[in-house]
Amino acid sequence: MPFSLKKNKSLIILICLILAQLILISAQVPLGGKENYLEKAIFSLFSPIQHGALAFIQKIGDLWRDYFYLRDVRGINERLSKEIFALQQQNILLQHSLKKYKNEEEIQEILEEIFGGVLPARVIGLDTGSVYRSVVINKGSKNGLQEDMVVVDRKGHLVGRVIPPVSFMEAKVHLITDSDSGVSVFTEKLKVPGILNGDGKGQCILKYIIATDDRVEVGENLITSGFDGIIPPGISAGVITSITTDKSLFKKISVSPYFTINHLDQIAVIALEPKEFF
Amino acid sequence: MTGVLTSVVAAFLMYTIFSRISIYFIYLLNVFSLVVIHYAIKKGESQGAIIGALCGLIQDSFSLGIFGVAGISKTIMGFAAGYISRRIDIIEVKKNFIFIFLLMCTELIIWSSLYLFLLSERVNTAGGILLFQPFITALVGSLFFSLLPKLKKRFVHHENA
Repeated sequence: MPFSLKKNKSLIILICLILAQLILISAQVPLGGKENYLEKAIFSLFSPIQHGALAFIQKIGDLWRDYFYLRDVRGINERLSKEIFALQQQNILLQHSLKKYKNEEEIQEILEEIFGGVLPARVIGLDTGSVYRSVVINKGSKNGLQEDMVVVDRKGHLVGRVIPPVSFMEAKVHLITDSDSGVSVFTEKLKVPGILNGDGKGQCILKYIIATDDRVEVGENLITSGFDGIIPPGISAGVITSITTDKSLFKKISVSPYFTINHLDQIAVIALEPKEFF
Repeated sequence: MTGVLTSVVAAFLMYTIFSRISIYFIYLLNVFSLVVIHYAIKKGESQGAIIGALCGLIQDSFSLGIFGVAGISKTIMGFAAGYISRRIDIIEVKKNFIFIFLLMCTELIIWSSLYLFLLSERVNTAGGILLFQPFITALVGSLFFSLLPKLKKRFVHHENA
């Protein structure tokens, strides 16, 4: 029986669609980590919907909090006043310590740079494949966001870095909990260097610490070293939760990041280009 | 076409809202697949495959994985949904539930296999929660599809009145 195009129209459509997507997948190999135009177009088209929906929900929430739910406001106000006072004192102390090393003008320059370089943002969407891989935030190229800018949580702990696609008003952030992420860190006390990888399940692993190295302890804080040339040094990345050794050359070290994806809402983008740090 | 786009946008909105309520909603309920199945049943296998590709690529563009993996799995699922629904009766809620459940299982198997093949890593099941996705999506889908004609009737009746 001859093959009829009309009769097998739907089958031909299916084959064409699968082939087109296979070509799309193959085309990504030479691109490496960069996004393709179709991906960027779909992201740019749909992320404003996400942005709008979240803004709407947030407005309703704000309305509720501002006008109906004022029970705890007094308490929160008092707590925040205390926090501001403590932070002001801390700020003065830090400025005094800086004066030991730098002159007034240099300090002012540094502070202005830091203040202007921090951009508050909000998480508006999670990764559709695995929530521990990436998030979408409500700031984009319009706000000066660029690839590889560092993202921290509200307490200044490392969350990840900006990756393409960066649309006009939204951007994607690669989380440190993704198994493909890698951050150069060292332990806070004895400065033992290692690479922090995500485990893809919301936790991290500290890699390449030799099994015989006894300088690493449970409960120790991990600080970014800046050796990767992307993440600036001195940012808290996580805390060591367990250390095990087996027959392999390296220790198995589990690290808990400071953020949990469930509670990741307000974040800050350090809107300075990576080269400005180094 | 407008109906399809509205449904896709609605699915995307639901996905966004659900993900902000709890991350587990994303693992348990696949609203994009329900849109694909709905239109595949209504319009046949060709449209099912096209809408499947569209929904899958939207899903892929909001994920860090390889762009096209969810696209392929949803294309096949959409085609299968349209093809099978033309040959067997799936109107009854129970049959509809089994139909969606099997389609969701197929999609999950294709998606995780492609993931394993292309990325050489296993899909994160969020402690096994993802395995309940076919069941929950089939349950929600079959109930929603059974209520949809009644809702439409009521809406038309309300508009005429």
